[in-house]
Amino acid sequence: MRLLKFVLTCLFFYLLLKAPGLFLGKPVPSSLIAMYMFFIVITVLLVMTITDDGAEKLFAPIRSLVEDPSKKLIRNVVFVVVPIVCGYAVYDSGEKKAPPTELRAVHPAPPAIVKAYGKTFDLASIGNPFRKAEKEDPAAFKAFVKEGSEVYFKNCFFCHGDKLDGKGHYAHALELRPLPFTGTDTIAQLQESYLFWRILKGGPGLPREGGPSISAMPAWENELTEDEIWKVILFLYDYTGNTPRSWS
Amino acid sequence: MGMRLLTLFALLFCFSNDVFAQTEIDKGKAIYSRLCAFCHGIEGAGDGPAAAYLNPPPRDFTLGLYKWKSTKFDEYAPSDDDLARMISGMRSHDSIPGWDGMNATSMPGWSDLLGKEEVSHVAAYLKSLAGYDNAPKSAIDLSGKVKADSASVERGKTLFKDRCAECHGVSGRGDATKKLKDDWGARTWPRDLTEGWTFRAGSAPEDIYARITIGIPGTQMPSFADPASKKMMTDAQRWDVANYAVSLNESEKKPSANPVLKAMKLDGKLPDGPADAKWDKAAISGFYLFPQIFVSSKSYTPSVVSVSVKALYNDGEAAFLIEWDDPTNSMPWDQKALEIADGDLFPDSVAVQFPSGQLKPGDRPYFGMGGPKPVTIWQWKGPESIEEGQRARIIDAKGVKNINQRLADGLLTANGIYDNGRWRVVIKGPLKGSDKDPVFEEGGFTPVAFALWDGSNGDTGGRHLMTGWQWMTFEKQGEGPSYLWPVAAGVIVFCGEMLWLFSARKKD
Repeated sequence: MRLLKFVLTCLFFYLLLKAPGLFLGKPVPSSLIAMYMFFIVITVLLVMTITDDGAEKLFAPIRSLVEDPSKKLIRNVVFVVVPIVCGYAVYDSGEKKAPPTELRAVHPAPPAIVKAYGKTFDLASIGNPFRKAEKEDPAAFKAFVKEGSEVYFKNCFFCHGDKLDGKGHYAHALELRPLPFTGTDTIAQLQESYLFWRILKGGPGLPREGGPSISAMPAWENELTEDEIWKVILFLYDYTGNTPRSWS
Repeated sequence: MGMRLLTLFALLFCFSNDVFAQTEIDKGKAIYSRLCAFCHGIEGAGDGPAAAYLNPPPRDFTLGLYKWKSTKFDEYAPSDDDLARMISGMRSHDSIPGWDGMNATSMPGWSDLLGKEEVSHVAAYLKSLAGYDNAPKSAIDLSGKVKADSASVERGKTLFKDRCAECHGVSGRGDATKKLKDDWGARTWPRDLTEGWTFRAGSAPEDIYARITIGIPGTQMPSFADPASKKMMTDAQRWDVANYAVSLNESEKKPSANPVLKAMKLDGKLPDGPADAKWDKAAISGFYLFPQIFVSSKSYTPSVVSVSVKALYNDGEAAFLIEWDDPTNSMPWDQKALEIADGDLFPDSVAVQFPSGQLKPGDRPYFGMGGPKPVTIWQWKGPESIEEGQRARIIDAKGVKNINQRLADGLLTANGIYDNGRWRVVIKGPLKGSDKDPVFEEGGFTPVAFALWDGSNGDTGGRHLMTGWQWMTFEKQGEGPSYLWPVAAGVIVFCGEMLWLFSARKKD
C-alpha cells in the first residue's frame, strides 16, 4: 500500500506539471518537466524511506514479487513487460531526428538610436507626430488613419493579413509566421517608437537574438517615407482598438 | 370598412418590410466600409487600395457577377447561402494551412469577426449594389451523383480530352493553348487540376461538378449544362468528368506542415536527367512559394504556388530534382509560349541556395541571397534560343547587391525537361567543393532555399518566387530505424532482473 502511495504522490505532481498544457494550452517544456520530476521522485523517495520500517514497507511488494512463489505468474509477466517497455523507450527516443531549433526573441530590446532619412532618431524620446491630432483635430486624425490604411493595404497585408491577424495570404509560406496586431500581446505592449524602429529596419535590423537572417520583414526605410510609417502605425492601433504603451 | 383596413395593413406590411430591408442594408454597408472596402473599394467596384496588388483581383460587386455560386448557369445571382459561404469562409476539406477563405486568393473567412446575422447584413448590402432582389435562389441538383468507379473515371477522361484539354491541358496541369482574360480584363490561368488544395472553394467531386455545370461567371470557363453550347454534356457525363478531375489530384505534392527534404545516398553515378528510375527511391517534399516582395522589382501576382523537390547524393555530388507546374515552357521560339506570355517573355529558371562554407549552429545567413554571411546558389536557366540551350551557373552572393557569378564548368550541371505543363529540372553539384561551396555532412541538417522564375508571368532578375530557409538532411546509407540499441536495452534490463531473482533465491 505504501508503494501505491508513492506512485500516486509522484503521479499527482506529474499531473500538476502537465495541467497548464492540458487545460490552458500553455504546456511546460518537457525537458523542464523531466528535471522537476527527477527531483520530485527523489524527494518523495527520501521522505518515504526516512525510517527503516517505512523503507521496508515501501519495497515489500516488489520484494515479494521476486521472493513469493505464489506470485510467480505476475512476476513472469512483469519481467517480460519491463524489458520490452525499456526497449521501446530507447527506440522511441532514438527515432526523433529533428532539424536544429533556434530560440528567438519576438520583441528584442531596441537600440537607443536609429539612423534613417539622413537623421538620427532617439527611440526613447520620439513619439508619433500625428498622435496629437487624435484629441486636437479628430477630422484630420481620421484622414491620417485613412492614409495609413492605404499604406497598409499596399505593402503589409500580404503577410500580416486583411484582418491584421497575422494570417495574410502569403503567411503560410513564411518560416516565421508574421505577427498579428490584433490581441493584447503584440502592439498593445509596445510603444509607437518601437514599431517605428521595427518597420524602419525590418528583419535585417534585428539584433542577433531576434533572428535577423530568418525574419521576412523588409526594411521599409527604402520604400516608405517617415510620415507613411507613422501613419501606418496610427492605422494599426486604430483598426485593432489597441492603445500604444506610453512612458508615463 | 373591412376592405379598407385590410389594404391599410397590407400597405403597412409592405412599408415595414421595406424599412426593415433598408436598415439591414445600412448595417451591412457599415460593416462593409469598415472591413471590406480596403480591397473591394468604397463603392464596391473592386477598386480598393489593395486591388492593384492582387491576382485574382477583388470582386467588383456592382456587376453582381460572382465566379463562385451554386445557382443554375442561367441565373445571374448567387443564393443567400452562397454569399454567406463566401463571406464567412469555406473550410473546404483540402485547403492551404491556416486559410479558411477562398483558397489561393486573398479573400479570408470572416466568421471569426462576423456573426451569422452580420454576414447576412453584408450579403444584403452586396445584393443591393448589383440591384438583386430578395427572391430566394435555389442551388443546382446534386442528386444524380455518379459513383467514382474506374469506368466513370475512364469515361470522364475521354470527355475531358475533348471538352476541357484545350484550356486545362491534356494532363490537366492548366497548360492552356489560349491566353485567357476575365470580363474585367484581369489575366486568368486555367486551374491546374493536379493541385486540389488551390481550388477556390474546395476540390470534392460535388465542388468540381458544380463548376462544370454552372461555369465560372465572368471567365472563359463555360457552363457545360448550357444546351446552347456545342460542348454541352449530360448530367451523368459531368459527374464522370468531375470524378476524373478528382483523380488527377496529386496530394503528395501538397507541402506538409514542416517539410524536411531528405537526400538519399546512392552508390555510383547520380542521374543526369529527370527521367531516371533512381529518382523513385527519393522521397518527395513540397514547399510553398511566396513572391519576392522585400526589395525592388517586387512581384505581386505569382503564377506558381509550390515546388516539389527530391534529392540524392553519393560520395562526390548532390543532385536535386525540382518539379513545378507551369502553363508554358517560356521558350521564345515556341509559338504557344509567345502567345500566352504576360508581357515580355523571359526564360524559366530555378535555383537552390545554401549557406557557403561551414555553418555554425544557429547561424544561418540572410535568407534573401545572404548578407555578411555568404550563400552559394546553384541556378538552372531555360534556353533563350534554340542554339544556346539550357544553362547552369554558380552564384556566390553576400546580399542582393553583392553577387558574383562563378564559372560552373564541370562543377555544376543542370538539365530540365518540359512536358505537358510540368518542368522537371535536375541540378547536380559538388558535395565538397572549394571553401566557398556549401558543406554537406552525412546525417546532418543543412539549410536550403529555393527560388523560381516563371518567365511567362514576367519573372526575371529580382522578380521571382521563393521560399525562406528550409531544412534538408543527408540520410546515412541504409539508415533505417536502428534496432540495435532498443534490443540491447531490453536484454540488459532482463539480465538485471535475472540477477536480482537469483540473488534473492540464494538468500533463501
